Amino acid sequence: MTSALLSVRDLRASYPGPAGPVQVVHGVDLDLARGEKLALVGESGSGKSVTARAILRLDTDATLSGRVELDGADLLTLPPRRMRAVRGARIGLVFQDPLAALNPVMTIGWQITQPLVIRGVPKKAARRRGVELLARLGVRDAERRFDDYPHQFSGGMRQRVVIAIAVIADPDLLIADEPTTSLDVRVQARVLELLHELTDERDMAVLLITHDLGIVAGFADRAVVMRHGRAVETGPVDDIYRSPRHEYTRALLAAVPRIGGDHTRPLVTIKEGGQ
Amino acid sequence: MGRFLLRRLVTSVVVLAGLAVVTFLMTQVLPGDPARAAAGRNATAEQVAEVRVRLGLDQSLPDQFTGYLGRLLHGDLGTSVFTQRPVLDDVAAMLPASVELVLAAMAINIAVAVPLGVYAAYRRGRAADVAARLITLLGAAVPVFWLGLMLQLVFAAQLRLLPLTGQLAFGQEVPKITGMISLDALLSGNWAAFGDALLHLVLPAVTLAAAFVAVVARTVRSSVITTLDSDYITLARSTGASELRVVVRHGLRNALVPASTILGMQLGWMLGSTVLVEAIFGRTGIGAYAVTAVLQNDLYAVIGTVLVIGVVFVVMNVLVDLVQLWLNPRLRQAGSRERRPEIAVRA
Amino acid sequence: MTRRIMAVDRIALAVAALMVALAVVGPLLAPHDPYAVDLADALQGPSAAHWFGTDVNGRDVLSRILYGAQVTLPATVIVIAAATLIGTLVGTVAALGGKALDEVLMRITDIGLSLPSIILALGLAAALGSGLRSAVVALALTWWPGYARLVRTLVREVKDAEYVDAARTLGVSRARLVFRHILPNALNSLYVQTTLDVSAVMLVISGLSFVGVGAQVPSAEWGAMIAAAANNLTNGWWAVAFPGLAIMLTAVAFNLVGDWLRVRNDPTIREGVR
Repeated sequence: MTSALLSVRDLRASYPGPAGPVQVVHGVDLDLARGEKLALVGESGSGKSVTARAILRLDTDATLSGRVELDGADLLTLPPRRMRAVRGARIGLVFQDPLAALNPVMTIGWQITQPLVIRGVPKKAARRRGVELLARLGVRDAERRFDDYPHQFSGGMRQRVVIAIAVIADPDLLIADEPTTSLDVRVQARVLELLHELTDERDMAVLLITHDLGIVAGFADRAVVMRHGRAVETGPVDDIYRSPRHEYTRALLAAVPRIGGDHTRPLVTIKEGGQ
Repeated sequence: MGRFLLRRLVTSVVVLAGLAVVTFLMTQVLPGDPARAAAGRNATAEQVAEVRVRLGLDQSLPDQFTGYLGRLLHGDLGTSVFTQRPVLDDVAAMLPASVELVLAAMAINIAVAVPLGVYAAYRRGRAADVAARLITLLGAAVPVFWLGLMLQLVFAAQLRLLPLTGQLAFGQEVPKITGMISLDALLSGNWAAFGDALLHLVLPAVTLAAAFVAVVARTVRSSVITTLDSDYITLARSTGASELRVVVRHGLRNALVPASTILGMQLGWMLGSTVLVEAIFGRTGIGAYAVTAVLQNDLYAVIGTVLVIGVVFVVMNVLVDLVQLWLNPRLRQAGSRERRPEIAVRA
Repeated sequence: MTRRIMAVDRIALAVAALMVALAVVGPLLAPHDPYAVDLADALQGPSAAHWFGTDVNGRDVLSRILYGAQVTLPATVIVIAAATLIGTLVGTVAALGGKALDEVLMRITDIGLSLPSIILALGLAAALGSGLRSAVVALALTWWPGYARLVRTLVREVKDAEYVDAARTLGVSRARLVFRHILPNALNSLYVQTTLDVSAVMLVISGLSFVGVGAQVPSAEWGAMIAAAANNLTNGWWAVAFPGLAIMLTAVAFNLVGDWLRVRNDPTIREGVR
């Protein structure tokens, strides 16, 4: 962890609510080295997605504090113009629901090439790179399908398009927010595999956000377990699997169905109140 | 795509047929003798008898309808008892001035309502949004004819900024090309007349637009809010696109789908509302013609305008569908079951 | 914010109630006879004696507006009641009467919906002869298709609901099923649309009267009053301005009440888009 790509310190996020601001993230620390794969695990409502969006400052109504350093520069204090240069080009984001994330009235080709086009890449070159990438992601007949609209694709294929948008400008870090949750079980593994291969090839660091500890094992090097807006456990994935320190982590692990697992073990009840 | 269009075309034909039936019934429910009504109040007994035979009023109802339909298809809308000219000729002479007015009103409508709706959506829940809501509230409640009179009072009679009535100042001459005076002035290069014609258009067009701005602003506001809250807008932001690009290139097209439907329908409704506006401003359009016809008991002239406005309305609907096809690729897919949203707003 | 809007709703409710009350007791409050012609007192501006001035015939504008509420509002109510009745009938039959009947009835409503109602009403009123009664009949005949479509949607939603199925399996008769189980549930949100339509119908009625097809000249109908005063716009603006303000105030109030009912009726839009 000597050359930290991303370093998050004491990140807090709150949103306006009917009775004053509601704090959702209560001081999260994260470190991510170049090319490393880190999983951020927690149930829905644990603040993991908000953390991901906070890194990119995507929620305009959120109040953020702490530090989010990318190669030493604090993103939270970056002027909007320079923040835009980070989005897409240095950090890409894969969305959870590909149907909602794709613009229904634009061709997928137009959407895939946007991150390049807005940075001055000529349309032709952008198209060539887009088609190549789509083909690499396993979309058959990518050249022809480039001019199709999102509704003409299946869920798994749409998610490949979303991934293509996130990686086409070759960011150093890819944040994948529940990238397989909305997909058919049969294609989940394949999409995850593709994500793994692609980021390896391009030496991208990945921050995988998921509620499913089951998919973390084969994918990430390290994991951070979040609950109620706080990181409750951090460490190499193997260690967490073998000897989870926090009660909550043990409960999450117990919820993962594993072949040959211990079915006789009783379910763990978690005490409220975090650590 | 074909199926969607075909369905809409079939509906249009059904509506046109229904329009023929409705207008035919109008000629029948008239209390008293339809032949006398068609011939005019001062017609002699021989004239009435002649009209009775010419219109086939001595035949059975189905035969009468067939005859009526046949005359309609040949462009025979009857003769105006007031102007003593074929109704179709009258309407054709009147329509351009109304189309000119409606287009001017639509331009004002779009120029005011779209920015107002977008801005209100941006400032959701804040002072500007409340102000926009107030404007739309008043716009939806103001009697069109009264607004026209009030504008005349303030801007023409009191401030003398704009002409009170008419389409062109006395002494200006414009050759008749399209029948729309402003356009004809432009085509003939008469800039003074063009400017003057536009000045004459301002008050009636603002009056006509007022009631429609409310509906469009409201629609735009809600569709912009829906669009801005959607994931694909966040995704566009996450690729580093500028705020302006996010809104205009990624968002506007989606946000305009509902608005485009309503704007298209409004062209037809506006043509209907010229009835309330043109007479006030002394414009010789189809609305003023219809009102005169009603007051003169000139039944066929009334029915003629109803038919023409109905046909314009149906044509507008087909155009709206074409715009929808362009804006919304999901409709283009063969066998798409998606239908245009039903609009429950009326003017 | 929310509280401020609530206050607006309360005011709207009060104004709408006031207008309805005026329609009932207005004549009792009118300071003058609304039809008393006094040419010596013609076109007097607003004063202590005549708050809203006098018209070209020397009649008190305020008194005429108060009487006019008794013309415009009942006419509006009749139009909406008749349109709701026809629309409910057609919509219910379309929803329950089988596919062919549904198709025919819906195409008929399409025709009604595909014309500006003012034009259709103008044509019908012309056929029936000018007068407030013709205008009301014509408007009712052009206004029902919107309700037919709405009721059809509502009934279709309800007819497959579980409690209707339950009643059906209990052997409830078809008529009872429709009138006791389906309609009451389907129509309990219809009042929202009828309230929202009050202002629109009122505007068309006064518009028809303004062009001379509706209420005729001596009538204190608001649109007819404006038409009669329009010739003296510059030297008697008050006789035009105040009846118009009366229309506008009533329309705003009913629109606000309608909006409030709609929000109350549908919690999903309370916080959201509309």
